[in-house]
Parts: sequence; C-alpha cells; structure tokens
Amino acid sequence: MKSRDVFSFSFSAIKLRKLRAGLTILGVVIGIAAVVALLSISQGLQTTITNQVEKGLGANTLVITSGTGGILGGASGGLSGGSLVPSAPSSLSGANSAPKLYLNYTNQIQALSPDITAVVAVVQQSGFIQNGDKVIQISGGIVGVNFSEYASTYGNTFKAEIGAIPLSPSDNDIVIGQRIYDPTLNGTTFANVNDEVTIICTNTTQLPYTNQTYTAKVVAVLPKIGGFQISGPSDTGVYIPITQASSFFGTDEASSIIVTLKNSDSTRITSVSKLITNYFDNQVSVTSAADVSATVSTLTSTLDLFLGGVAAISLFVAGIGIMNIMIVSLIERTREIGILKALGMKSRTVLTIFLGESAIIGLVGAVSGIILGWVLSEGVALAFSGGSSGITLSPILTPQVALLALGFGVGVSAVFALYPAWRASKLRPVEALRYE
Amino acid sequence: MNSDLTQNTVVEAVELKKTYQLGKVPVEALRGVNLKVERGEFVCILGPSGSGKSTLLNLIGALDKPTSGKLFIDGIDLSTLNDNQLTSLRLKIGFIFQFFNLIPRFTALENVELSMSIAGIGRDERRKRAEQLLEDVGLKDRMNHKPAELSGGQQQRVAVARALANNPRFLLMDEPTGNVDSKTAREVIALIKKLNQDGVTIMLVTHDQNLSREAKRTIHVMDGEIASDLVN
Repeated sequence: MKSRDVFSFSFSAIKLRKLRAGLTILGVVIGIAAVVALLSISQGLQTTITNQVEKGLGANTLVITSGTGGILGGASGGLSGGSLVPSAPSSLSGANSAPKLYLNYTNQIQALSPDITAVVAVVQQSGFIQNGDKVIQISGGIVGVNFSEYASTYGNTFKAEIGAIPLSPSDNDIVIGQRIYDPTLNGTTFANVNDEVTIICTNTTQLPYTNQTYTAKVVAVLPKIGGFQISGPSDTGVYIPITQASSFFGTDEASSIIVTLKNSDSTRITSVSKLITNYFDNQVSVTSAADVSATVSTLTSTLDLFLGGVAAISLFVAGIGIMNIMIVSLIERTREIGILKALGMKSRTVLTIFLGESAIIGLVGAVSGIILGWVLSEGVALAFSGGSSGITLSPILTPQVALLALGFGVGVSAVFALYPAWRASKLRPVEALRYE
Repeated sequence: MNSDLTQNTVVEAVELKKTYQLGKVPVEALRGVNLKVERGEFVCILGPSGSGKSTLLNLIGALDKPTSGKLFIDGIDLSTLNDNQLTSLRLKIGFIFQFFNLIPRFTALENVELSMSIAGIGRDERRKRAEQLLEDVGLKDRMNHKPAELSGGQQQRVAVARALANNPRFLLMDEPTGNVDSKTAREVIALIKKLNQDGVTIMLVTHDQNLSREAKRTIHVMDGEIASDLVN
C-alpha cells in the first residue's frame, strides 16, 4: 500500500470521529502549550536577567571586593550591603582576615595588565538625604567615586539628564539618581538641581554611633536606568566626589574597585581576573558579568528542569488519553481491521495506519500547542512586565524549543499508540470478521 | 511463492483437518477433507450449520490455518508461507461475505478502490478500474453513495466489484444471498452466474437452493467430512 494511501486512510478514520479526535487533540495541545509557554518564559527570564547583569555590571568590567565572597556572596559587605544593612566598618571587621582594599591601589591594578583601560575605586555607605523637612533613605547608597573616571566607565548610565556632571567637582557637589530626584516617579520631585541638601551618614566606627552630616549641592540628575544594579550607577544612588567620601566616611578603603577591560572577550576577562586575584594573594574576589550570568543560568536551568517536569506530566496525561482513544477505536473497528486483512492488508500496514492516526493527532495538537503556548507566554509576560521594577520580560521561543515540542507531541502520540496499534495488527482476520 | 498461473488446479486440499478449542473441549470442525477445484468451476458447498463448511471456506481463503493436512492454492503449499505471505496471497482471492463487509465511511467507489489501494495500485489506475467494475455490476449511477445509502443487493454488488478488483484467481462467497430479499437474491444469483460464464472460478457456501441449483458442482459437507461430491 502506498504511504499516501495509508495516510489518507488514517485521516478518514479521524474525520469520522471529529469530537473525540478533537478532545484528544486538546489534551496534546494543553501539554505542548504548557511546555512551550513555560520554557519560553523561563528562557526570556534568563535573557532578561543576563542582559540586566551585563547592563548593570558591564560586560567588560570586573568588580574587585575584599574577601572571598564575591559581590553576590554578601560576605564582603561590599556593594550589595548598600541598602539597609550598613557595610561592616573596617575596624569592627578588622579581626577577620579579609585584607583591606585601599583607594590608592588603583594605580597598582592599572599596571597589572595592558588590557585594563580604567580602574575606579568606589566607597559606599548607607545613609539618608534631607531636603528641607523631607528625609529619605538612600537605598542605593552614598557612593563616592571619581566623577570623570566613573563617567568614562559607565558612559551610558552615569550622565546628566538634568544639570551637568562636573569633571572636577567641588567637595559638596552631588549627583542623584532618578528615584532620589523623583522617588515615586509621579513628578513630585524630592530635590532639584541647585538644591542644597543634607547628606546624613551614621558613623559606626566608634560607640556611641553618631550621625555625621554635611551640606551638599545637587549638580546633576541621572537618567532613568531601571532594572537592578549590581555595580555601576543606580536610580536610588547618591554620588559624591571620592575625596569628599573618603574624608566624610573617615576611611581610605574602597568598598570595591571597578576594572574596565578593552573588551568583553571571555579569555581576557578570565586571565585578568586571575592576575588580580593572584596579585592580592587570593584574598579578594573578582566578579565579572559572565560569572554572574553563569550563576543565573544555573538557577534558570534548574527552573527549566522543574517546569519541564511539570509540563511533561501534562504530556504524559495526554499520552494516556491517546492510548485510551486508540484502544476504543481498535475495539470499534475490529471488524474493519478484519475486512482489511481479508482484503490482503499486511499487519505492518495496519500498524502504520493506527500509528498514523495518532501521529496526525499529535502533529495537529503539537502545532496548535506551540501557537497557544506562545500566545500564553506573551500574555503572562505582559501581565508581569512593567510595574515599578522597570524590567520587561519578553518570552523567547527558540526554534529548538519549538522543534522539541513538535517532536514530543508527535513522539508521545506515537509511543502511546504503539500498544493499541500492535494489538490491531495482531488481530486474526477470521476472529475479527466474526466480531459484532 | 512460486505461483503458476497456467496451473489448472486452483485449489487442492489433502487430508485437511481443523480443530478448534472451545473452552477446554476440542471441536473437530474438519476431519480430513480431500478436494480439488479446477479453473472455471462453479462449486457450491452445502451442509447444515456446524458441519464445517464455513471453516473450509476460511481455510481456502487463507484466513485461517489448518491444524493438519495440506492445502495448495495455485500449486503453492500454504503451510510453507508465513503470515505476511499468506496476507499477500489473499490479494489474489476475492471474498464476498454474507454481511457485505463494506467500510461504512467510504463510498461504493472508494470501497472498490480500497482493495486495489492495498495492492499498491496508483490512484488514477484504480479509479478507472473501480468505475468500470461498478458499471459492470450495474451501479454506475450509485458510485458515490455510501453503503448506508445502498440497498442490500446494491451493497452485495459493490462487494462483488471489490472482490473482482485485483483479478482474483477465484471468488469465495459465504452466503452471498443470505442477507438480501428474494428479488435481490435473484439479481445476485444472475450476477454470479454471469461471472462464472465469463470464466471466473467460484466457490460458495449457501443455504439458498435457487443459488445451489445454478452451481455446476455440489459438495455436501457433514460433520467435518465431505459426504458427497456431485457434478450437476
């Protein structure tokens, strides 16, 4: 029998039971849609996070922090400690072995490799900012940096939207993030350019803790950066000149040192990272965007596995549905199979006809499922995107996922139809013909 | 399979036995049948129900395997064939059943085409031939009707056209008039008679005396054995 005739025979059998076939297809559609939607969302999430990491950290920048925890480890009390928990002051943590990262190390680091184009030291403390009778917490931290070096490292984000960032600022010049300028993002500004504000920082180096203050002048407001920041400018940060920070905080230690490389070539990143850690005798952590992305992608692959497992269960249920309908179909069509065999149809052809039927169901279900899954993931993304986080999640349906879903849909259908198809092919014509 | 189409003996049974297992009781349906059917014959197999005549027909049709004994079709020993080869052999045997056994979702034309499509004949060729066959059995204007829209006689004629489609070596009929009214039965009988006159070998099982009267040879089966074998 020609394969086209086998196919059209399978198809005619499906057409006969439209509702039943439709419901079975629905089972496959739901399973496949779940797989596609979950994987596209998770894939989109991973890409969004990776992009944010690269944006926040810079693909070609390295962040050096003292200690071995790294910037995501939290142990160093470095950048991540900026918001609510005050950074561990050096004198209190002096007992532990973490070496001090001094502000003047920048020249030594710069000399380590010709691949390094810039080295910026950052001093960071938590604190408050007061304008008149309004006080808000600076959740992004009071960040002391060299304005011109910082601007050249983070050209895209450390630039003035309002006002101007002075290259050689006077001590009381400050640059504020978009959400210090307008905390609720509704146009009610907290402080404007040229406003005189008070910077408040708690000195925790000696008991009792005392608040230190100084009066600063807002010279510039940064554009809206969005997302979350691992290093580099953030919407909730206040930026003061490094010299001022050093004297105000009473420290000559850097919270972190940001190293900019010529480009984001991964071997270069690795070799420079090694160079720096060796230079500091393994007492510092060097974190690159790639490191963070790798951590994130480990997390999302675990997520993928979990979501994939959930989706696989629904596919499995769909498969059982297919098996069920094929067995019913087999019983109903016993006599028909007897006729076909009496007319000289080979067992193999009977098997193919049954497998063909379920493969058609699987194919139609998989294609519809991929489309539905895509629509679903777009809907979910729409519902969860935006908001105050400023992160847009756009689901990604890779051709691999689509093909995988298609393969699974057809594969599951065929596998679960194997048993009924095999039983159909083994029917003995005399008995099948006798069947009423 | 070495089919010899010049062979004059189309069917030869030697000591053919078939035992069914009905629960724990073995039932001997055939107890040693010897039979030879030549090309162009019109053989009618008669016998009370349970005599084994349907079993004999099923064996000759390669639908079932004998318990012992030999069966040759066109000189081929069926016991040497595997299931697949037996199936292929059935392409060369035309079956006509009491209950027509048409595929309900297919039209008359598609039903006739089906047996040719199983034989691997291309679409255009089989359509042409199916139309010709249906015209031959007088159903030219009913070709696109489904079995449910046809009378019993018309359905049986579709079955005849289907059985003839692959130019079978012989036709096997199991009560071809068993499920139609007497007027239709006369039409079916006339058709069978004409087929035989055109040279088609026919073996049939029937209770219908009007039909058996037309046969050139009558075989009575009793208790699984041939009781008489008469040439009319």
